[in-house]
Amino acid sequence: MDERFSGFGAFILYTITAGMMLFILAPLLLVMAVSVSDSYFVTFPPQGFTLKWYAKVLQDRDFLEAMRLSILLALGTTAGSLLFGVPAAFALVRGRFFGLAAIKGFLLSPLIFPALVTGLALLQVLTKLGSQDARLNLLIGHVVVTSPYVIRTVVTSLQLVDENLEDAARTLGANRLTTFWRVTLPQIASGVAAGGLFAFMVSFDNYPVTMWLANSEYSPVPLVLMRQLVNVFDPSVPAMSTIIILMAMVGVLLLEKLVGLRRALAA
Amino acid sequence: MTTSDDAVAILSVEAPPAARRRPGWRLALPVGLLAVPMLAFLTYFFFYPALGLLLSSIQTQDSRGIIGRPFTLAHYARLINVELYARVLWTTLRISIITSALATVLAYPVALVMVKSRPMVTRIITLIVIAPLIVSVVVRGYGWQLVLQNGPKGMLNWILMTLHVVDAPISVLYTEVAVVIGSLHVFFPMMVLPLASALGKIDPNLEDAARMLGAPWWRVFLRVTLPLSMPGFVAGFTLVFSLTAGSFVIPAILGGASAVMLGNLIEQQIFVVYDWPFGAAIAVVLVGLVLAVNGVSMWLLEGRRLRRPD
Repeated sequence: MDERFSGFGAFILYTITAGMMLFILAPLLLVMAVSVSDSYFVTFPPQGFTLKWYAKVLQDRDFLEAMRLSILLALGTTAGSLLFGVPAAFALVRGRFFGLAAIKGFLLSPLIFPALVTGLALLQVLTKLGSQDARLNLLIGHVVVTSPYVIRTVVTSLQLVDENLEDAARTLGANRLTTFWRVTLPQIASGVAAGGLFAFMVSFDNYPVTMWLANSEYSPVPLVLMRQLVNVFDPSVPAMSTIIILMAMVGVLLLEKLVGLRRALAA
Repeated sequence: MTTSDDAVAILSVEAPPAARRRPGWRLALPVGLLAVPMLAFLTYFFFYPALGLLLSSIQTQDSRGIIGRPFTLAHYARLINVELYARVLWTTLRISIITSALATVLAYPVALVMVKSRPMVTRIITLIVIAPLIVSVVVRGYGWQLVLQNGPKGMLNWILMTLHVVDAPISVLYTEVAVVIGSLHVFFPMMVLPLASALGKIDPNLEDAARMLGAPWWRVFLRVTLPLSMPGFVAGFTLVFSLTAGSFVIPAILGGASAVMLGNLIEQQIFVVYDWPFGAAIAVVLVGLVLAVNGVSMWLLEGRRLRRPD
């Protein structure tokens, strides 16, 4: 294949790589296969073909409610993390002030903090505050864990903006707002979009923060799925999972398309 | 620039290369003020709660569930001294270390192939590696539950028995092995991406030079490629270790009662036992563990201590 790898070394490399690709795909493909198999109990190899579990899932009120909540929550989280994150990224790239590095470290620290603990700590504070609306609590928790992703992507794309273009626009008489809107924003647009999409996906799948802040009335999709999976055996779980896998694939392709616009994101 | 590098820009903790800085035009208000809303938000909803949790972990809970004085270290002592809890701590450490080590060994070839192959191969591998990252952990755990299912109807057992590797079904589900397999699946991309990024930065001329001077492929790898890729290895190992140590879903689905990890113990203490100070103490230990590993990794990466001495 490639002249860099040859002989026995190449054989080992390609074998392990192919094996790992299979390892990554196997459980997901099995879930998808089981979701259309026609038996109440999961068996291998899957038997028959049916779409009845999908029909059942699409009439399951709990699942549809959870889906609605998760999508709204993820949209709100995206908006919130962009609202806080994009200006912060500007400050980090363009600002010159004392303690810049420390502040950057602080803003990105939720990334290395175990999310499970972030959620637990937040639950304690929100309980003390008497904040009982699970939707608001979830929104706050999700913005905490997703905003660092937005900050990082926007910082990366801002660092690549050619400030000469801004100077040129200013020299030609554009005011700051126009300069930002017509010159800077188009250059960082794909970075902002990628950060927002990432925030959406992280929020939609989040479990470790969600598990503390949700309640029985407002449970997002991952929690509902976990409950179905652990407590009762329900053959509609594979169908729900497949729907989630397909949604994720759409997300990945979108992200790949955005990230593929490399010039704006990582040069 | 490859797709994998772009993905790393989004996913990795490592900071992007510093951009050229030059004095620009001045804004009327310092641009630094734009960080204030984010700072205030995170201070109030992240930093302050974390301190609150740290405080609770050294306080006492009375019979009405109110947490306050006297201060005590009893909860930490309990975690270490009670065998039931100490075992959870060791299980967590063991699973995290084994998962990170396995991920390193298996991710290295994948990252190498990803970086050095033709663009088409690189693209496919990158997509396959990244795609599952965005599928809910619950779904991935469920997938492994189906694959590892005990009894003759599970996929793994069916394959092993059809190939006559084993005569009777083996029991993998609800063991530490199952948790390691699941964690490896969930966090594998976190190892591949930093490694691929580090490998992509190695000047191919160095390897060519070594080859031209007569070094066999394994020697080129051991003396040139491997040492130069150490930053990616350290970053990946740290990520996988931290994420595995803090996991809840995978041990809950695949580990059952025999592989309880710190995350599951915290959940149980808070939601079932309602023992907040003890739950908080376990959480603080978990954070301490993760921060310690991150600290060592930063020390290694920033001090350029990874360069070979000779």
